[in-house]
Amino acid sequence: MSGTEPIVFVVDDDAAVRDAIKDLLESVGIGVETFSSGREFLARKPTEAPSCLVLDVRLPGTSGLDFQRELVAANTEIPIIFITGHGDIPMTVQAMKAGAIDFLTKPFRDQDLLDAIHKAIARDRDRRQQRAEVAELRQRYEELTLREREVMKLVTQGLLNKQIAAELGASETTVKIHRGQVMRKMGAESLPDLVRMAEKLCIPAQKY
Amino acid sequence: MESSESLKTRIRSVVFNYGLAILSVTSALLITQSLKPTVFPTPLFFGAIVISTWFGGTWPGVIAVVFATLLLDFYFVSPVRAFGVHTSDVPYLAQFILPALLSGWFTRKRKEAETALKEARDQLDLKVQERTAQLRRTNEQLQSEIAERKRAEETVHKTQADLAHLTRVMTMSELATSIAHEVNQPLAAVVTNGAACMRWLAVEPPNLERARDSVTRIINEGNRASEVIKRIRALSKKTSLQKSALGIKEVIQDVLGLVGPELVKNRVLLTCDLKPDLPPVFGDRVQLQQVILNLIMNCIEAMQEVSQRPRELLIKSETSDRGQVLVSVRDSGMGLDAQQLDHIFEAFFTTKPEGVGMGLSISRTIIEAHGGRLWATTNNGPGATFQFTLPTAERGS
Repeated sequence: MSGTEPIVFVVDDDAAVRDAIKDLLESVGIGVETFSSGREFLARKPTEAPSCLVLDVRLPGTSGLDFQRELVAANTEIPIIFITGHGDIPMTVQAMKAGAIDFLTKPFRDQDLLDAIHKAIARDRDRRQQRAEVAELRQRYEELTLREREVMKLVTQGLLNKQIAAELGASETTVKIHRGQVMRKMGAESLPDLVRMAEKLCIPAQKY
Repeated sequence: MESSESLKTRIRSVVFNYGLAILSVTSALLITQSLKPTVFPTPLFFGAIVISTWFGGTWPGVIAVVFATLLLDFYFVSPVRAFGVHTSDVPYLAQFILPALLSGWFTRKRKEAETALKEARDQLDLKVQERTAQLRRTNEQLQSEIAERKRAEETVHKTQADLAHLTRVMTMSELATSIAHEVNQPLAAVVTNGAACMRWLAVEPPNLERARDSVTRIINEGNRASEVIKRIRALSKKTSLQKSALGIKEVIQDVLGLVGPELVKNRVLLTCDLKPDLPPVFGDRVQLQQVILNLIMNCIEAMQEVSQRPRELLIKSETSDRGQVLVSVRDSGMGLDAQQLDHIFEAFFTTKPEGVGMGLSISRTIIEAHGGRLWATTNNGPGATFQFTLPTAERGS
């Protein structure tokens, strides 16, 4: 379970604010790591644990908003909670549009920060879970034979066994066997289950 | 061309000089002849020699002497009408020639002295003229330099005043932002540490160790915030006043020069009653300008809603009962109610939607730093009057 213990990263150039947030999070039993700049944070090894970033808008060098843009561009999908001494509306809108969880003005209520962190951690956990699921499915899909993949594609497009047989120039029985193999190998319990998996794997659903 | 011209004049003068000698001696002869024998012959010749020498110079003088001697010999000395001389007449001729030469010589000397004197006089005249011209030039230069300096000074003043106005607006918002950030950071830390502390105390059993750490941080950050405030205080003290003796009339006029366009734009009728010969006040020009500017701008803004009656602004400077300089700025605007009168000089109090609420507060601080007083009253008619007093230079210094 050690890999799934959530962790919060705090980036603020003000040591006092950093330490205060660390203190607060530790008091509720959340793991914290603090950084004085975005660069310092980037130098850290990526974590497997569900995590989020508490980011000060006003940072020396690149601002928090610029840093957010950098992270998005680098496909680093960590949920961000912004904290700022003086936030105006355009700044908030920009941050939220770029996917921020929340935008808190210092001094913020401790509960507001904790709520935002819980929300962010939950979202990150979901995201990681989904990603793990897709990875798992992909692995299973990789184990299918080429013919089974074809059958899976046609089945999830809603074709009947007879139609698939005609499509592939095989007997209906053969199709049935392949279909059984697909269901078993993919671990699908029903046809709708399999369709959902196909969607997650982005197997084209439209007819050709 | 020029040399031939000068040659001609020279020839003319030579002809004139020698001609004059011949003519004068001849005239002397003719007059003497006609008056003979009633007149002793020689004096007229002396006159001719003097005239020739005086007007013609040395050589025409000598010619006149020679010519006169010859004529005298020819007409008056026996044998008459012949150039011979009897031995008995030699003393007579010598008696003539010697004084003739002497009178010629004296005349020459006299003439020379006169000429030298004239030249000296001319030269002096020329020198005086030259000096006068030089003086005039220097004077003109000085005048233009003074004008230039005055213009430069005016520009500097105007720029200074503009700048003062601008910085008044700029520094307010910048200072506010800066203070806000500097104080907000420790405050944020205090609040968060406080929240953490509460949570450390709320767990079962309370984690006193960590709670104590949190409180220590709170104290540190409280001190940090206080340090920020101290720095700001020190900063505001550092901007020393540049006090000098000032004519309040000039200070007011400086400001009026600035607000002229504002008055026109807002169709405000300005009346000035600035007493001349008020004693100078001792103060910082820019700061006093700021106060007056602030009061006038307030008046203009207070009259923006007025459309039923003329928008009138009266600026007055006079001597107060206690011998101080008293400036009043009176408008015909919306006026002030009792509640506003109580709070109008407090920081952050404003009746304007866009106002910061610092203008009057700062103005009062400035006037009080100058040893004066600033207050507001409502008019009998519409509008309000702001007045301030300033000690005169002798008392203030």
